Amino acid sequence: MNRRILVAGTALLALVVMLTGLPGGLRAQGKVVKIGLSLPLTGADADGADAILKGAQMAVTEINAKGGVAGYKLEAVVFDSATPAAGQYDPAQAATNYKKFIADSLVMAAVGPVMSGEGKAISPILSEADMATITPSSTNPDITDPKFQPQYRPKGKAVYFRTVTTDAYQGPNMANYLFHAQKIKSVFVLDDGGAFGVGIADSFQKRAGELGVKILGRDRLDPKEADYKTILTKIKGLNPDALYYGGVMQAAAKLAPQSFEVIPRAIKAGSDGVYDLSWPKQSGKEAVDGWFCSQASPELVTSGKLEAWVTKFKKEMKRDATNYAITSYDAVLVIADAVERTAKANKALTRTNLRDAIQATKMGSIQGPIAFDANGDILTRTVSIYQWRDGEIKYVGVAPEK
Amino acid sequence: MSTVDVLLQQIVNGLALGMMYALLALGFTMVYGIIELINFSHFSVFMTGTFVGLVVLNLMGVTAVSKSLTGFALVGTLVVLFAATMATTGVLGVLIERICLRSLRHVAGTAPMITTIGVAFILINTMLLIWGPQAQRFPQLLPNWRWAVGAAEVTFKQVVLFVVGLVLMLALSHLVKRTTLGKAMRATAQDADAARMMGIDVDRVVVLTFFLGSALAGAGSLFFGLYYGFTGYYIGYTTGLRAFTSAVLGGIGSIPGAVLGGLFIGLTQSLGGQLVGVKWTDVIIFSLLIIVMVFRPNGLLGAHVPQKA
Repeated sequence: MNRRILVAGTALLALVVMLTGLPGGLRAQGKVVKIGLSLPLTGADADGADAILKGAQMAVTEINAKGGVAGYKLEAVVFDSATPAAGQYDPAQAATNYKKFIADSLVMAAVGPVMSGEGKAISPILSEADMATITPSSTNPDITDPKFQPQYRPKGKAVYFRTVTTDAYQGPNMANYLFHAQKIKSVFVLDDGGAFGVGIADSFQKRAGELGVKILGRDRLDPKEADYKTILTKIKGLNPDALYYGGVMQAAAKLAPQSFEVIPRAIKAGSDGVYDLSWPKQSGKEAVDGWFCSQASPELVTSGKLEAWVTKFKKEMKRDATNYAITSYDAVLVIADAVERTAKANKALTRTNLRDAIQATKMGSIQGPIAFDANGDILTRTVSIYQWRDGEIKYVGVAPEK
Repeated sequence: MSTVDVLLQQIVNGLALGMMYALLALGFTMVYGIIELINFSHFSVFMTGTFVGLVVLNLMGVTAVSKSLTGFALVGTLVVLFAATMATTGVLGVLIERICLRSLRHVAGTAPMITTIGVAFILINTMLLIWGPQAQRFPQLLPNWRWAVGAAEVTFKQVVLFVVGLVLMLALSHLVKRTTLGKAMRATAQDADAARMMGIDVDRVVVLTFFLGSALAGAGSLFFGLYYGFTGYYIGYTTGLRAFTSAVLGGIGSIPGAVLGGLFIGLTQSLGGQLVGVKWTDVIIFSLLIIVMVFRPNGLLGAHVPQKA
């Protein structure tokens, strides 16, 4: 008799522990949709990631303030994808974060990643789980390219959606700009060894070659290295019209002052990897001045039509807006829109159904119309060009597509 | 620039870079010579030193954007900067020895070395938490004088770096070989128990060794900041790895060996980058290290391994 009570008691206790231990608890089921955010919030690219995080958070707050979407409240689950060992984003950490999202049955979709290197690590994981992610900033085209489908989405369906265009346009269009507007005849190309940096430097170099610009060399910077004088001296000896850098901030923070010292006269250009408002603080205003950079989106922050949004963002989030804060905001709106359509169609809110709904997105968002092709890439393919002047990023114009 | 000029410039760059590695390798190799400890925390003390220097400068009202100093103001600032930073990193080294390493001194095997790796991570992450992840600008105190050598350029900073490196090497050699403290250090290195029996305060010698080594790391850190104009929490890693390699290449424990190894690696890095490509830098450096180790297992100048009784 006593033993029976003991067994029953233990079983009851085990059940209670199990129920309370379930992610989110059963009570919340059916009322909350969690959105996973895995971003490099520490490390060299922290400023850009912070803007992206706050863009998404603002959308979540606004939607919840209006009572949520189709009876669901949105909830952001935020993980850092940078590690001290890497000093910047770490693809292995991003993969761990996404596995945690997948283990949480209430996470229905994700916003991110920021970096293409992370994207390559997490895309196959998402494919297995049939969960969609929407990246507001990672632009490496391979991830969504059908050519690499067995590698990045083994189950076939698109899971990696973007509210920015890809480096299939960003790199080449910068080459077009430098060739047509800056009349460069020769260039030296550097990358930082990351998936994004190598990819965009490749696509820039290919297009520049097609335009007849002489490629004087190609090399790779170690982002953790302090001394870039060796490569810059080599470049000085070759005397190119321009230097193109494909990569992100960790190497750029040192490349700017040292190239200012060694090759002050060359035209210097980067990508959205150096569209980082903290650059002058990291490298010095005079060293950054003159650098060109780009965005894989239309210019939104200073476009005027989003003035109210930009002001509100600055007031509520206590920082300056970036274009990728806006594409991140839009990513959350796309997910909310998909949740609503899934609910209206009386379908169960599962990751698979939500992915299908995101694939079918046709909406007007604050950045403009959003719709995806079968691979998950946005149909709008605008690349904007900027230049650093007197410590500030100034919009130059839309990059030529040819 | 002609090819010859570029090569000349790369040699100048390589020598300066090598001296930077040498500065860092000196203190590291000295500590090894005395207590046979591979002290990986040395490179994090170096990294911490750059931030200490930054704080000292900020306290004196010098920031990256303030205008450049000249004359006595400059000399005074540099004296205070070096004294305060080297004292702080020296004390940090002593604390590391006292708290983390003293109780492990008689533990055989890799435990003390692993402990220094742990200390390195503590320092790295502490600086990351305090200063954040981004590169911090370091005020450019030294004047930007430059001289032409053919079409190549030598900067004042490179000259300072080089002269200081050589002077420190000579001073340190002198200290270890010719002074009473140096004698006590060498005695401790050869046989701590016998040294104690002869009336040498072994604990004091070890503490002084750590203080000196870490103060040297502090000096190295300031030259790093003044030369490159930035710092970040991760700088101890790559620079430290190269400095460690310099020490091993030159013969770990040997003070002139550290400088020779540093210059060798600096030149390899700049000429390798010029002739092959900087993405091959580590491949070239470590291939050469392996070749040297195969033929001279004790490094270029032979390790001064203490003769254990």
